[in-house]
Amino acid sequence: MPTTLGTMQTATRIMPSLLLSHRTRLRQRVGAALGNGLLLAVTSLSMLAVFFIFFFIARDALPFFRLEGVREFFTSTHWYPSAGEAEFGALAMFVGSGLVTLGATLVAVPLGIAAAVCLSDMIPFSMRQVIKPIIEMLAAIPSVAYGFFALIVFAPLLQQQGGHLLAVATWILGLPLVVLGVIVFSDVATDRLRDRPRLVIRVILMALFGGGALAGLAWIGHTLGALKIASGTNALNVSIILGIMALPTVVSVSEDALQSVGRELREGSYALGATRAEMLVKTVLPAAAGGILAAVIMGVMRAIGETMVVWMASGNAARIPSPWYNMLDPVRTLTATIAGDMGEADHVTGSARYHVLFAMALALLVFSFVCNIISEKFIRRTRQQAKG
Amino acid sequence: MRLETRKLLDRSFTGSGILAIALMAAALIVLLAPMFIRGAGAIFFTATIEHRRFMLERFNRGNRPQLEAEIKAARKARAPVYRMLADFERCLATGDAAERRRYEKPFRELKKKIQILLGPIPGAPRPMLMRNQYGQTRWDRAQVKLSRVLYREEWDYSDPTRSGIMHLKPRTADFAGTSLEALFPYLKNNIDRMLLPRRTVYWQFLTDTSFDAHFFGGIWPEILGTFYLTIGAMLFALPLGIIAAIYLTEYARESRFIEILRTCISTLAGVPSIVFGLFGLAFFINTLKVSSSKSVLAGAMTLALMILPTVIRAAEEAIRAVPAAYKEAALSLGAGRWHAICSIILPAALPGILTGSVISMGRAAGETAPIIFTAAVSVGKPLALWQVFTQPTPALSWNIYNLATEHAAVDEIRHVQYGMVLVLVSLVLLLNLAAILMRARISKRLRG
Repeated sequence: MPTTLGTMQTATRIMPSLLLSHRTRLRQRVGAALGNGLLLAVTSLSMLAVFFIFFFIARDALPFFRLEGVREFFTSTHWYPSAGEAEFGALAMFVGSGLVTLGATLVAVPLGIAAAVCLSDMIPFSMRQVIKPIIEMLAAIPSVAYGFFALIVFAPLLQQQGGHLLAVATWILGLPLVVLGVIVFSDVATDRLRDRPRLVIRVILMALFGGGALAGLAWIGHTLGALKIASGTNALNVSIILGIMALPTVVSVSEDALQSVGRELREGSYALGATRAEMLVKTVLPAAAGGILAAVIMGVMRAIGETMVVWMASGNAARIPSPWYNMLDPVRTLTATIAGDMGEADHVTGSARYHVLFAMALALLVFSFVCNIISEKFIRRTRQQAKG
Repeated sequence: MRLETRKLLDRSFTGSGILAIALMAAALIVLLAPMFIRGAGAIFFTATIEHRRFMLERFNRGNRPQLEAEIKAARKARAPVYRMLADFERCLATGDAAERRRYEKPFRELKKKIQILLGPIPGAPRPMLMRNQYGQTRWDRAQVKLSRVLYREEWDYSDPTRSGIMHLKPRTADFAGTSLEALFPYLKNNIDRMLLPRRTVYWQFLTDTSFDAHFFGGIWPEILGTFYLTIGAMLFALPLGIIAAIYLTEYARESRFIEILRTCISTLAGVPSIVFGLFGLAFFINTLKVSSSKSVLAGAMTLALMILPTVIRAAEEAIRAVPAAYKEAALSLGAGRWHAICSIILPAALPGILTGSVISMGRAAGETAPIIFTAAVSVGKPLALWQVFTQPTPALSWNIYNLATEHAAVDEIRHVQYGMVLVLVSLVLLLNLAAILMRARISKRLRG
C-alpha cells in the first residue's frame, strides 16, 4: 500500500488545518516512527532466537568435540558415557533415529499423499469440511499421549498378537493390490490379440498369476503370523506411531501443493481424454512434485525430532539392530538419549557427558535446518511454476 | 490399455484415496477410544469402603454417621479373617520348630497380601506410607489383589527360548490341613461385605491434590501446572507474534532482510522440541539465570519460543484476510498507519488471530520435551501465583510420562495415568474444537 499512503501524507501536508490539528499530526509522526522501530525490533526477535539457539547449542557442543574428538562420535557404537573410561560412540543412535524415521516415512508418505489427492480432487467440498477436523485432531493430540498409547496399549498388543496383526495388515493391503495387479497385467499382456483367443488367454493368465500371487501372499501372511515378537517396544511400534503423527503434516502440505496446480492443467488433461486417475498421476502430481517433496521432508523432520514417543516406546537399547533393517529390535534415538541422559549428566561442571548431549542436539538442529531450507526451496519453486 | 482397464484403474485409485482417509479416521478412533474409556475410569468407578474412609478422613467428605456405620459393618465382616490369622499365629508360636519352619514364610507372605487388600491389621502399628494405611480403594484393583491372596504366582523359566511363563498356584495348598484352610473360601465369598463396593463419581479427581505419589487423590497440581505454563507461554508469544505479524504484513517491503527473517521463522518452526528444551536450559537458566534452577517462568519462555512461529503465521494470515477496503477507508479518513492498524485492522483480524493462537495454546499445553529440563518436576504441591517465577511445577504432559514409566508401582495407578491422558487430550481437543467453530463463524461472516 505504499502509494496510497504516500498520497495520503501529501494530502495531510497540504491541508493540515482541514484534516488534523498540528499536535495530532506530530503525535502521529512520532508514534509512527517509534512504532516502526519497535515493530522491527520485536520482529527481529525470532531471528535472534534462531541465532541464539544455534549459538548456545553449538557453544555447549564444541567442548565435547574438543575433549573427545569427532571420529568416535560418528563412527563407533560403544556408548558407555558413565564408565570409568567413558566412550561416546553415538552411531547406534544415529542409526536408530534413521531407522524409525525411515519406518515412519514408509507409513506416512503413501497414506498421506493418497489422502491429500483424495481431499483435493475426489471429495466434494462438504465432505472435506468433515474430514479436515480429523486431520487437525490427529495433529493436535499431544506427543506424550501418542507415546502413552504406544507404550501401554500398542506395545503389549504387538508383543502378544504382533504376528497376527502383521498378517492381517498384509492381507488387507496386499489383497486389493494383488487382484488389481493380476487383472491389469493380464489385460495389458493380451491387448494386441483378437477377441476370441484373448478371452481364453486372459482367463488362463489370470488363473496362473492370480494363483501364484495369492500363494505368495499366503506364504508371507503365514510367515508373519508365526512371528514371535520378543518385545513390543521396538522400532516397528515407534515407526507406526510416528508415521501417524507425521501424517497430518504430509497431508496438509501436499494438499496445498496439489491445490496450487491450476485448473487449466486438469481441464486440459481431461480434454485429451484422460481419466481422473490418469490426469492426477500424469499431470497434477508431476506438476506438484516439488511441493509434495517438501511435504515428505517436513514429515521426516517431524518424525526425527519427536522425543516422547521414541523415549517411551522404542526400547532404548543403544545398539544397531541386526540386520540393520530389523524393525522388531529395540532401538534408541538421538532425541530419546538427550531426554533420558540429561538427568544423569552433570549440569554444573559441564563434563563430556553433558556436552555430548548438546553435540547430538547440534546434529539434529543442523539436519532440521538443512531440511527446512530444502523444503522451502521446493515450495517456492512449485509456487513460481504454478504462477508462471 | 483398454477402456475398461483404465476405468478400473481410475476407480481403484479413488478407492485407495478413500482407504487412506478411512485408515486415518480409524487410527484416530483407535487412539482415542482407550484414552476416553479408561480415562473415564479415573472419575467413574466402583469404590470400596476404603475410598470412602479416605475421603472422610482426609477431606471430611460424606455423611459421617452413615459412613461410620458402614466402616463398622465392614470391620465386623473382616473380624473372622483377623481372628483366623491370630489363631494360626498363636498355634505357630506354640507349635514345634519343624512346623514353624514350614509355615512361617508362606504365612508372612499371606499376611502381607491380606494387608494390601484390606489395609493394616487391627492392633498393628500404623504404617509410615499412606498407601499402606488403607486397603484397596478401587473394586477393580481389589479383585486383582484378592486373586493375589488366593493364588501364588510362580514363574517357569525352564524354556530358555521364551520369557518366563506364569502359573497360578492356589495358596490353600500351602496351608492344607491347618485351621487357615477355611480362610480362603471365607475371603472369596465375603469380599464384597468386607469392602462394600459402590458405584462412585469422583469429580474431585480433577481438583484434589495428590497423596503419596498419586496412590490417592487427584491431579490438581498437574492441571494447575499445565495451566500456568500454557498461559505463561501465551503471555510471551501472543504479543510478540502479533507484533511480528503486523510488521511483516503492513510495514515490511520485500527485501533480502525480510527473506532471511522469514527463513528464520520457518527454521524456528522446524527445530525439534527437545532442542528447545536444551536451549531453554542453556540460555534461560544457565546464562540469563531467570531462575536459579527449573521454574515455570523458564518453561513458559521456552514454550513461547516454540509456538512463536505458529502464532506469527496465524496472525499474519488473519491480518491478510482483512479486506483491503477497511484499511483504505481508515486511511482516507485521515488516520495514520499505526492508528489504522490499532483501531481497524487488529479488531477485524482478532477472531482469526485468536483461532490460530488457540491451536498453538493446545500445542503448548501438550508439549513435554521443552519442559523436561526447564520446568517440570515429578512430585509437587500446587503452586501459588507468585511462586511461578522461582518454582518448578508438575505438569500433565510430563507426569503422564513420569507415571507411566518411572513410577515405582506403574500398574497400581494405571487409572491415574489414563485420567491424566484423558484430561490433557480433552483439553487440547476442546481448544481445537473451539478454533474450528470460530473459524467456521469467521468464514461465514466474511462470505455473507
